[in-house]
Amino acid sequence: MKDKSEKYDFIIIGAGVTGLSASMYGARLGLKTLCLGYTHSSELSIGGVITTTNIVENYPGFIKLTGSELADAIEKHARSYELVSIKEQKVIDIEKKKNEFVVKTENDEYIGKTILFATGTKWRKLEVPGSLEYENKGVAYCALCDAPLFKNKIVGLVGGSDNAAKDALVLSEHAKKVYIIYRGENIRPEPINLKRVYDKVKSGKIEIINNANVKEVKGSKFIEKVILDREFNGSKELALQGLFIAIGHIALTDLAKKIGVNLDKKGEIILDHKTSETNLPGVFGAGDCADKPFKQAITGVAEGCTAAYSAYEYINKNNLTN
Amino acid sequence: MKVVVYGTKSCVWCGKTRKFLKKYNIKFKDIDIEKSKSAEKKMIKISGQEGFPVINVNGKIILGYDEPKLRSVLNIK
Repeated sequence: MKDKSEKYDFIIIGAGVTGLSASMYGARLGLKTLCLGYTHSSELSIGGVITTTNIVENYPGFIKLTGSELADAIEKHARSYELVSIKEQKVIDIEKKKNEFVVKTENDEYIGKTILFATGTKWRKLEVPGSLEYENKGVAYCALCDAPLFKNKIVGLVGGSDNAAKDALVLSEHAKKVYIIYRGENIRPEPINLKRVYDKVKSGKIEIINNANVKEVKGSKFIEKVILDREFNGSKELALQGLFIAIGHIALTDLAKKIGVNLDKKGEIILDHKTSETNLPGVFGAGDCADKPFKQAITGVAEGCTAAYSAYEYINKNNLTN
Repeated sequence: MKVVVYGTKSCVWCGKTRKFLKKYNIKFKDIDIEKSKSAEKKMIKISGQEGFPVINVNGKIILGYDEPKLRSVLNIK
């Protein structure tokens, strides 16, 4: 730990595309900006969750690129500003002291006039018997990462969202067959991805099991089958060699909660969507950890930029420029 | 020091692992298990699981991109 804490106008917790874009805008507004992310295969990595997306084709200006390519481009853009500092450090605590915030990482301590939570999310785990036991033994969460291991195998995918559909499409490029197991009547991806899934259904590569839940994961050393809560093809047992989980995400908002930021029932930061302000003066939120139904890279980036502008206005209105 | 990385090209964490090792000029054998069924079997055998990447540092097995563990095993501060 250094003797004297470094001071910043704007400290961003989280270095996904939301945090990186906010840092770029902070610098453009003349704010000395620090963006903190943690490079580890779990949470808050530089680049964020989009780096686990195979193909991004809905970010304006890029017809088609990988999530990692998009994140790398935004990181490079943010780093091009002298006022931006991006550090690979994990934030472990935040304290509010008068008109400033003390942000502690495992190695250092920083002081910010304003802070932005762009902490993103983590994968929601499937909480049924056997799912944890077989994690990385057939149960997986990152289709892009692990799909090649299931070449010519039969796999299941739990979920019905757009992300679930995209994961199923990635898996179908490797696996012999993909069963989408969805609790509802119809899966609900974006229409463009729904069509792609149905094309694979027609070819027999994907099959959708609607109105079904996985009740248990079973196997020996590795997964061998799942037990469904309804019969499918005359049995509640479905033989699988892999099970991917895409049942949504949980907002990483423990630190925000700790300093008194209001969260909704889902644990997401309640924002003023015009300003990205939270209930606490000088504290902002943006991206997947915030309370909006449509979570996209482009919407997170926009909220991050809005938060940077609001931080700039907050500093000026409160005469905190020195 | 013998370092072997088992992974794939599309795996994000494999990419971060390679980037990390290159940053510190650590030579490593990069095995793409998509190209070798026997390498895939070996990776599963030595790690007892199927997640990527698997890093073998002189017989010490690291599962996933775990920067603190890599730093510790490779003596990087």
